[in-house]
Amino acid sequence: MTDGAACSVCDSLARARAGDPSAFAELVRQHQRTVYSLALRMLADRHKAEDLAQEVFLRLHRNLARVQSDVHLLFWLRQVTTRLAIDRLRREPKYQLLPLRADPGIASENSAGDPLLRRQLRDLIGQLPAAARAVVLLRYQEDMEPLEIATVLEMPLNTVKSHLKRSLAVLRGKLSGVASVAAAFPGDGSVP
Amino acid sequence: MSPDFENELREALRAVDPEDGFAERVRRRIASETRMRRRWLSARWAPEALAASVLVAVLGVYGWEQRRERQGLEARQQLIEALRVTGEKLDLAYRGVQDASRPASADDAGA
Amino acid sequence: MRSLTMKSCVALLAVLLLPAQAARAGDARLLLPDFQSLESKASETVSITLDPSLIAMAARFLDANKPEDAAVRKAISGITGIYVRSYTFDADFAYPKADVDGVRKQLSAPGWQQLMQVHSRKEHNDVDIYIRVDGSKANGLAIIASERREFTIVNIVGSIDLQKLHELEGHFGIPDLQLEQKK
Repeated sequence: MTDGAACSVCDSLARARAGDPSAFAELVRQHQRTVYSLALRMLADRHKAEDLAQEVFLRLHRNLARVQSDVHLLFWLRQVTTRLAIDRLRREPKYQLLPLRADPGIASENSAGDPLLRRQLRDLIGQLPAAARAVVLLRYQEDMEPLEIATVLEMPLNTVKSHLKRSLAVLRGKLSGVASVAAAFPGDGSVP
Repeated sequence: MSPDFENELREALRAVDPEDGFAERVRRRIASETRMRRRWLSARWAPEALAASVLVAVLGVYGWEQRRERQGLEARQQLIEALRVTGEKLDLAYRGVQDASRPASADDAGA
Repeated sequence: MRSLTMKSCVALLAVLLLPAQAARAGDARLLLPDFQSLESKASETVSITLDPSLIAMAARFLDANKPEDAAVRKAISGITGIYVRSYTFDADFAYPKADVDGVRKQLSAPGWQQLMQVHSRKEHNDVDIYIRVDGSKANGLAIIASERREFTIVNIVGSIDLQKLHELEGHFGIPDLQLEQKK
């Protein structure tokens, strides 16, 4: 985040804490992409992701006084989003994961590269168990280091590293047709 | 892990925006919840005040229980990881025994 | 020892371990050094310490309605401790032998028996499996695996039924041991 952008968040945060609704709306706009994307890739359903993302900002509104800085804000949003998503996945063991390629409107492939491969990757990530999925998303969507991920998810660092190692091996193997997600994780899509 | 594969992952997981009007929908939901909470809090009867105190106590216990749940789930995860490593090394031993049982070939390890 | 098939080992362990009691289970727990020198060189470290209270806590969060969790619960019944230290390195055999020998010495103490020693010259792997026997009961298991780029010690205190571990194959990342099914 540039200094200018950071100041903008700080300013919005301070004003939102003072009760300025337009400042809170600004905070939502600044962070909706992160929150919604995490929710979407955890739940693999646009409507449920929207609902969860709204819930996250609702909770933020209730807990604004606890958020101490823009850095803390981003940490808080990531933590609450992943935690709520994991909770929802655990409460819905028969949750049917929609393959993202069947869902229109998911990221249009503007950048160069293999769009089919990327859709396959998103599908496969959507089949990982909740905790492993959260680790992979925080690492490769949010570009967080393993130690930061461990802090957000309140998980031992070694467990984060294990999740990354195993998940990436499964993803690579699946793409090359060698391994299967089901062999490494429960195969019925349920969440361990 | 090859950097190319990790880059593909990053590209695949590039963040996306919700549908237009998200901030407005959040605003409406907050407003709706605020109205409901005000209605609930504005009642002056003692039973409601008592219920509020009980709710606060329950939420406190709930917070503790959530922490315990997280610790328990973490312990479960560690247990599964420990069993995974155990199985992996037993598998290594098994494959070694299998290799040793095969007929000798030119590049046999001689195990 | 190398002529033993895996199935024979499972049968042997099953006989030795059922029923098992955790008599003087404390002796079955190895004193694992803190391996600071290994940890500083390792690219990845797995360090798991599950004492009886943590195993009990973990067991409470196993969902009896899920077959995988139920299988884990069966596999750990009788286990009072699980200790894992695993180090992965970026270079071949980057760990000093002295660190391994220190643990092996404990396994020459009374009660411990080497069940299996597998050496693969092709794969450059060594796997040693030990059990600790108290009377006619086994109350501990130790695995030392020295691979080209990974060094692992597993110490399980209490009884472990390898057959029940076999039932976990294919789930939770536990590899398929390809053991023959019991008739």
